[in-house]
Amino acid sequence: MARVMNWQLGREMSYWYPESRPNKQFAAVFDTNKCIACQTCTLACKTTWTSGRGQEYMLWNNVESKPYGFYPLAWDLKLLESLEGGKWTGRKYEGQTIFEQAPAGERVLGWRPESQDYAYPNVGEDDCTGQIDGGASMAMPHMNWFFYLARICNHCTYPACLASCPRGSIYKRPEDGIVLVDQGRCRGYQECVKGCPYKKIFFNPMTGTSEKCIACFPKVEQGIQPQCFVNCIGKIRLAGWISKPENAKPENPIDYLVHVKKIALPLFPQFGLEPNVYYIPPVHVPTSFTRQMFGPGVDDAIKAYRNAKNDPDLASLLCLFGSSEMVMPRWKRQGDTVSGLDEKGNTLVKVPMNEPVHVRAAYDKLYQISRTNCP
Amino acid sequence: MLRFRILAAALMIVAAGCSRAPQAVNEVVSLRVSKIPDTPPDAVWSNAPEHTAKLLLQDLVEPRLAKASTPEVKVRSVTNGSEIAFRLTWPDAVVNDVPEPGRFPDGCAVQIPRVREVDPPEPQMGQSSRPVDITFWRADWQASVNGRPDNIRSIYPNAAVDHYPFEAKSLEPGSAAQREMATRYSPAAASGNRRAGPRDVPVEDLVAEGPGTLSPRPGAGSRGKGEHGAAGWSVVIVRKSPQGLDVRTRTQIAFAVWEGSKQETGARKMRTGWIPLSVREAK
Repeated sequence: MARVMNWQLGREMSYWYPESRPNKQFAAVFDTNKCIACQTCTLACKTTWTSGRGQEYMLWNNVESKPYGFYPLAWDLKLLESLEGGKWTGRKYEGQTIFEQAPAGERVLGWRPESQDYAYPNVGEDDCTGQIDGGASMAMPHMNWFFYLARICNHCTYPACLASCPRGSIYKRPEDGIVLVDQGRCRGYQECVKGCPYKKIFFNPMTGTSEKCIACFPKVEQGIQPQCFVNCIGKIRLAGWISKPENAKPENPIDYLVHVKKIALPLFPQFGLEPNVYYIPPVHVPTSFTRQMFGPGVDDAIKAYRNAKNDPDLASLLCLFGSSEMVMPRWKRQGDTVSGLDEKGNTLVKVPMNEPVHVRAAYDKLYQISRTNCP
Repeated sequence: MLRFRILAAALMIVAAGCSRAPQAVNEVVSLRVSKIPDTPPDAVWSNAPEHTAKLLLQDLVEPRLAKASTPEVKVRSVTNGSEIAFRLTWPDAVVNDVPEPGRFPDGCAVQIPRVREVDPPEPQMGQSSRPVDITFWRADWQASVNGRPDNIRSIYPNAAVDHYPFEAKSLEPGSAAQREMATRYSPAAASGNRRAGPRDVPVEDLVAEGPGTLSPRPGAGSRGKGEHGAAGWSVVIVRKSPQGLDVRTRTQIAFAVWEGSKQETGARKMRTGWIPLSVREAK
């Protein structure tokens, strides 16, 4: 195994191949606080890519209610058990990754889901962590909680699927870092399914090959965000490009959120894959839980996010989410307006930080009727 | 005492001859026949010598097989000069012929060096510029050849499917537009990679020049037939005879067996090293 730098762990780690970062790395930020689990993203992906035979059970994009929702069943718990949760000292990961804990004869520490594990895409949907006694939901902080976790392939810097494939059928594109399965080369060994800790690669029994989220690369190549991003009615998602921390550019929206403000965090960084979908953690969930899920930056991230009302730059950038179907590699704020820009600085979209508010009278004198609020 | 042992041994040989037990050989000996049998129960096989090949763990390259499963495979072979056939028999109580997430089909394979030489290439899938030809049989392909429908309900009988885009009413079944739509949602098929689906033969011809290099060898024209019974699998693999192999020469052969119930797939397999392969005229 080679030694590679994983900045999310704050240290070098072992990986099957030497470090080879793409020229650009596709990345995304998901704001979990805005997700309402409407599953529009799930269906946008489903109807676009996985309507074929053998893809019936596949959800390249899914939204699960944490802590009890899973797809496939217990995907995260099984590995966390093996890694004993993972041990951090400050921002440095002291535990072992799935590459470092690979058993003899294996390339990564993994496990194989079976068909029935996919049969309940969100078992426990909307179940919170305990019984709600009378009045308990009114107390702050909430005694009981849940939140929605939208998931796609993380197009990891160190993909476990790629490392697991004994045939080299999985590759990471140098031009955008998107991880793809060569459908002409795959022989359906399912080593990738076993290896991916996020279980975001799926075996298609009707084609006999494994398939995965392709980050809608035909759209990304045209500078357009993927289907699950542009169809998100909660506007929780922003696609773009991420730099290494030492090369972070504040004018790059993903860099700003991940590296400058540090409010968006990787999902289970302790697995060691350097995943490239970043999550703004839920503010209402005990950080003992979210720290295990998003790493040691959770408390600071929540603090910065809560302070957005006093931070016009951050507040304005959050307004860019879902504002355009175009990928916005740059951004800038002018007063109370935020703009999404292309690489050359041309404006793609302009968004006011505060939408105009119109207050309508409860009684309409013209039509002589009372207006009611729609639920 | 010694005389008694010799007598007992002689009696055993006579008894074995009466029950037409196969002649055991310590290499694979292919018997010259006029017609190649295509099925495992064909009477021709009873004349062919039987070699019991001990199977080893594939523990040379990752991912390795951690625990031994199928201990041995019994091999008989016949040839008509242009084609050579092998019948592989091994114990397996349960048929595994449905590939699905976390489940794998039973299978077996025959491997022969492309070039007949005294010092053959690595038995583990050959080596660079020294290819090995492989013929691979799989139980799910056999099920497909035997008539199992190519649809999701053949795997999950209670599957509910609302709609496939290629079954839209606007698309005439079998039309070019309908086929194009079906291909659009089957990327492996679109790439010409037929790992599943309807098949004419349950075997695939492959070539390898080392682990991880396995590639299709189109046009090799091998065929096969596998049947499962109380004793396990019995699989016939028929391929072109190795170039230059006749009664005066010999080459090498290796075998592999995958036990689906043990999640054996790809490199996770039981395999042999090289075993000499020769041809013998029928008496």
